Amino acid sequence: MWCATALLAVTGLFAADPAANMSSTKPEWMPPFEVSEEVLNILREINSVNAYQVPKLPLRMERRYALTPVEVTPFRHVEPHKRHFLEQMEYWGPGRAIPEPEHVDTVKIGFIGPIMPTVSVAVGGKSHNEENLGIKKLQGAQLAIEEANAQGGYLRRKIPFELVVRNDNGLWGSTGNEVIDLAYKENVWAILGTIDGANTHIAIRVGLKIEIPMMSSGNTDPTFIETNIPWVFRCMGDDRQMAYLLCDYMYRVLDLKRVAILRASNRYGRFGVREVVDSSRRMGRPIVVEMAYPVGSEDFSIQLDRIEREKPDAVVHWGNADDGARALNQMRARGMTQLFFACDRCIRDEFVKIAGSNAEGVICASPWDPTRDDPVYQAFRERFRKRFGEEPETYAAHAYDGMAILIWGIQVAGLNRAKIRDVIAHRMEPFRGVTGEIPLSSVLDDAGEVYLAKFEGGEWRYYSREQLGLPPREVLAHQAPPTPTGSSQTPDPSRQAASSQGS
Amino acid sequence: MVLSQSTSLKCFSAVTVFAAVFLVVFLGVGIAQAAEEEVAFGRPVAPDVPLPYVYTDWRHFTKADGLPDDHVFAVKVDGPKVWIGTENGLACLDKRTGEIKSWTEKDGLPWRVVTAIDVDPKTGDVWLGLFGGGLARFSGGRFDHYHQLNSGLVNDVVYGVAVVEGDLIWAATTAGSSVMDLRTGEWKIFTEKNAPMEEIWNYSVCYNDGKVFLAVWGSGVLEFDVATRRWKHYLDPDAEMEIDLYRDDGVIHVITTGCSYVDKVLWVSSYFGLSRYDGRHWRGFYAHETGMPSDFTNNLKARSGVECYFAHDKGLGVIADYPSDSWVSYTRDPKTLRGRAAVFRGGKKLIELDLERTIPHNFCIVLDVDEKDIWVGTGKGLGWGIGNGYFAGVKPNPQWLADYLQRKSPAEPASPTTPSQQVSADPAQSQVAGQ
Repeated sequence: MWCATALLAVTGLFAADPAANMSSTKPEWMPPFEVSEEVLNILREINSVNAYQVPKLPLRMERRYALTPVEVTPFRHVEPHKRHFLEQMEYWGPGRAIPEPEHVDTVKIGFIGPIMPTVSVAVGGKSHNEENLGIKKLQGAQLAIEEANAQGGYLRRKIPFELVVRNDNGLWGSTGNEVIDLAYKENVWAILGTIDGANTHIAIRVGLKIEIPMMSSGNTDPTFIETNIPWVFRCMGDDRQMAYLLCDYMYRVLDLKRVAILRASNRYGRFGVREVVDSSRRMGRPIVVEMAYPVGSEDFSIQLDRIEREKPDAVVHWGNADDGARALNQMRARGMTQLFFACDRCIRDEFVKIAGSNAEGVICASPWDPTRDDPVYQAFRERFRKRFGEEPETYAAHAYDGMAILIWGIQVAGLNRAKIRDVIAHRMEPFRGVTGEIPLSSVLDDAGEVYLAKFEGGEWRYYSREQLGLPPREVLAHQAPPTPTGSSQTPDPSRQAASSQGS
Repeated sequence: MVLSQSTSLKCFSAVTVFAAVFLVVFLGVGIAQAAEEEVAFGRPVAPDVPLPYVYTDWRHFTKADGLPDDHVFAVKVDGPKVWIGTENGLACLDKRTGEIKSWTEKDGLPWRVVTAIDVDPKTGDVWLGLFGGGLARFSGGRFDHYHQLNSGLVNDVVYGVAVVEGDLIWAATTAGSSVMDLRTGEWKIFTEKNAPMEEIWNYSVCYNDGKVFLAVWGSGVLEFDVATRRWKHYLDPDAEMEIDLYRDDGVIHVITTGCSYVDKVLWVSSYFGLSRYDGRHWRGFYAHETGMPSDFTNNLKARSGVECYFAHDKGLGVIADYPSDSWVSYTRDPKTLRGRAAVFRGGKKLIELDLERTIPHNFCIVLDVDEKDIWVGTGKGLGWGIGNGYFAGVKPNPQWLADYLQRKSPAEPASPTTPSQQVSADPAQSQVAGQ
């Protein structure tokens, strides 16, 4: 039941005095607000085990990882020896038996993000170029904390939540040090992770050893959750899903034949286009050229010379908004009129401002649709504008959702890292955030829909798979490649399994 | 030449007989047939079935015994001493007396979380990898601290440490490897810029026989030849995260967690299963084919080229004899807290033992091999498997079985339960037992 989720907790939509509903006859582990029977069963299980037992919790089982379309499945003509990520990982450690601490003044939750670049000799300038994303992410997380505190904070003890903020400057693996600092010195109960893919990998490796829930709301690297770590979550569609949609649109709808890639020369660019490259090849339209540029480039002539020579139908850009806009302007200036596709980072005012009229017609992949008619999102938008005097965007909204899920987990499970993990990981019902429904997959990734955003008439318009005339993912994942106009409504067997199966 | 029909038949018969004998003698067909029969506690599937060694004598050490913490991240045996790294301090156990000494930050330990230990065979110095605290040398009762701001250590999150030929200290960190030359005091850093690391997230380092091996999360295994200073790189050939296309074509996954090199055989652990490489052939291992408790493997340690121990999240797995595909799985019953040991061959369970104790907890994190003994660090304590009568390989009617049956039979007759009832609730093990 949706009323059990974090969003209601942080937006004040649940009972005015939830703690008052608790009866003294109820067990201590009963959450301080109403939750579904499914969540109660999880709580019953995790609170009945000792340090040596593993609770019997429902596990997500999937038939096909990430709903990968049959046509772009790796080595699809061969049955692999082993398929990974089809069954949800469990935590088998003794952590559930650790008692709640007696004296706690605040309930700390960690935040790590690229909010401030540092000057680096190693990279010849700024350590990163993601502070615009990091600051929005911080705003979203702050708002979630502030709203939870306005509702009474940590309801079991009536103490406030505290956001412990750490900058991720991304140099020399500093993310790992920050996570250790958060976990061992600040004693946070969960962490909202960073944006950069490489730094996130460093963070989750540390998190796995420490045994602390880590939520990612801004890292779209597909490999982040392809690590079999039962402690990590993501509440945002990833580059894999966005690449599938982009390729479906480019090849099934537009029937493009020659696509080129222009990407940032960093992990975000390298891993972001990986599924575009693989899917294009598997769909019989191999990428004609892939060119990388240093982050923050002003001159793209070397890359564009090569791309132009290949006479592509379209260019796919994967990198930051400012780089993308400058590259687009230089393309148009030299008379290149190809379609321009880009990653979600280009759906920003910064991109439109730099690109000017060249932004018209640009199509970006997007992990969500902020223009949908959704009162939950509209209410969040209003509150965000009131708090920060500016619009929320992708990173703010997803950070808000990620933090809200962590807060919900803490409210429901209490101050025990393993149990916080359990209630989030084993809840089969999707979370419903301001960004839409967040159904977690067997690898605890956001398995929800992704979109394409087209800049038309001075604004971004969002298109779902259905609106683009594409078959549902479930059809492509379980059937032979259909025609572009097909739109079967076959239900997804893996989802049925997920909702009904337990073990 | 054309053979007559009768000649052909004779030849065929001879070949058949030879093949059958070959299979029985060398491939253990008898064992395989026997495995189809029911398994009972303490009774092998057939008499005289060759079995590997099983540790039936275990001791546990926890905070109650003097460990600074139950969460054990590192264990290293050095003669009679066993060094133990925990989430909250360092400890040293004297095997002869059972006495445990411990050090925390109050005692000068630079950082509370000890994730890696190695001992310099020349000096006896103890090198500690500190999780977020860099590197420390413990010598003469003093801790020397090396970290990002006072040395060439590339990152303070150290997952592995190895003393290389007594002169080099090799640290596997979350942002590359650092090597300190004890003779010159110079440091060298290896990252993607000067080594074939697709990613720099080092997880484990081991040294033996002139070679350093790094298990690198996202980059498979790297081999460094100390003499030639050349690198070799082992990746999953299918290059896909979500599948293992062919089991035996290379390391099974690029996210590796540990490596151990003995007898010129490389063993590799990952969160997806295990790999073995003899310099020519790779072999992959998965729980559903072997009987090991889980694919999720935190670490490993080889005793030889045919025997290796694996720290899984669901128990301790052992390939006790590679040629005969013989495995032993150790778990702790979460309800009775008694120990379980099960022997598998070719994925079939041959025997299961109910023991007073085995490992302290099923969540195994690290281990070390100590001549005939083994040490297992878990999420809740340290286990010592005492190898009374240890033997390598397999043999029929081993002494441990006779001892076990003698202890068991007078008071506790063998359980008549079926195999599927005997195994734990772990679906992976049930599947194996039910095959």
